[in-house]
Amino acid sequence: MVRVEKLNAYYGDFHVLKDVSLNVGEGEIVVMMGPNGHGKSTLLKAFCGLVERLEGQIFFQDREITGLGAEKLVNQGITYIAENRELFPEMSVLENLKLGAYSKSARAHERDNLDWVFDLFPRLYDRKAQPAATMSGGEARMLAIARGLMSNAKFLAIDEPSLGLQPNLRDEVARIIKEINAQGMTVLVVEQNIPQITELASRIYVLEEGRISFEGSREAALGNDHLKEIFLGM
Amino acid sequence: MWIEIIDVIISGLINGSVYALMAVGLTLIYGVSKAFNFAYGSFYSMGGYIAFLMFGAAFLNNYLIVFCLAVPVLLLLGFVVEKLLVAPLRKRDDWEIKVMMITLGLALFLDNAYQVVFGARMKALPTILEGAFEAGEFILSYQDVVIFILSIGGILAFRWFLNNTRTGMSVRAVAQNPMGAQIVGIPKEFVFAATFAISTVMVGMGGILLAQKYFVTPTGGWDILVKAWVITAFGGMGSIQGGLYAAFIVGMLEAFVGWHFGMNWTLMALFVVLLATLAIRPQGLMGKWG
Repeated sequence: MVRVEKLNAYYGDFHVLKDVSLNVGEGEIVVMMGPNGHGKSTLLKAFCGLVERLEGQIFFQDREITGLGAEKLVNQGITYIAENRELFPEMSVLENLKLGAYSKSARAHERDNLDWVFDLFPRLYDRKAQPAATMSGGEARMLAIARGLMSNAKFLAIDEPSLGLQPNLRDEVARIIKEINAQGMTVLVVEQNIPQITELASRIYVLEEGRISFEGSREAALGNDHLKEIFLGM
Repeated sequence: MWIEIIDVIISGLINGSVYALMAVGLTLIYGVSKAFNFAYGSFYSMGGYIAFLMFGAAFLNNYLIVFCLAVPVLLLLGFVVEKLLVAPLRKRDDWEIKVMMITLGLALFLDNAYQVVFGARMKALPTILEGAFEAGEFILSYQDVVIFILSIGGILAFRWFLNNTRTGMSVRAVAQNPMGAQIVGIPKEFVFAATFAISTVMVGMGGILLAQKYFVTPTGGWDILVKAWVITAFGGMGSIQGGLYAAFIVGMLEAFVGWHFGMNWTLMALFVVLLATLAIRPQGLMGKWG
């Protein structure tokens, strides 16, 4: 569904991604791991048209999308859910969700998707009139995910959903990722603190110093001593 | 004495309402795109000259027609200026300063162009509505009433647009979180140009409304630019609500200082109050710098 070939990304002169190639098949949940600051977020942003300087090629459903702006990509069904949430602080929960359905392709499904995300996150329904800025960290995280779901995406790039989340909400996040995948969305998620999510993954990629250093199943990842060293400090 | 004071208050309210319309436009551009438009005052004069031109043509000399034509012309003008002059700078380093310089250049160009085309002499516009309400010594001209209603109406219409339309929501979204706006697929570049265009309409309409009382001159916009700037800084950069309060305070202050000390003192009084306010509250009345 999504395929990347020899992708290089830069922030100014800083070379963040180096010849990254990967693919995510339709209906998959793929987990991306790697130390912080090694380019995971940049890679997700690159899919969604949020990185200015890119070389290489990105394909979505076999069409090249490299260099297209975020508004075009969202409209085609690619949505980024940011690690730092990027909500609209002075707007209500409901307004934030409605803006999630801003793109043309999502507009027609706004009502249905709203019902769906309120079903998934009953707490957001209770707080729909509350400004986003007044929500707790966990609620704001849920809102960011829900807003992403409003876009009627086919491919979701979710950046560290566990960041700032209480441990008891992690099961919740894993349950939701499973649920949206069951609804037909393909998911690429950057996450290494929620074992429940890793268990859902059909494949795992590891990104180190801007390069893909591992690709394979969860079992292969667990059996890899180098990876254990990185993530478990063993 | 009392009648005089009531007159001063009314004058402050009328001017304050037009200032509010114009200051909201200026604070809008800043709030959404962090750009500062030095040609804002020249767009004020542009409104006056557009109306003046239309009143010169026999079949257009009616305020209703003037408004119906001036709005799209100003909208288009603002949009084109943003796309041609401001947008290309946004990708560069220190673009804020470069935008100030290029809009300053545009202001000088426009003011000189007005002088070449229309001459340096003041141009008068007809009164929008003749007559007055009289009760003993108290006189309230219908013109003032109409100006007040149109300004407040303009602000309310803008508020409605921000809160109830999709484009309005996208404008607020970009102002609150440009990255978030991009993530949900809002075309940021379009929103920048659209807000610039809307603000041009607001100040241009202010120009048409005030020109009836204060004439149109090639350099008349500078006074307005300074006042709109003072109001914006006073109310809190980017805060629309702050701008509204500040506009009426400035309108009142100006009216009272002008009445008691003479019109020459009004600008100085404004800056004294601005400096005093910023010394106590550097973020302005409602606060929201940067």
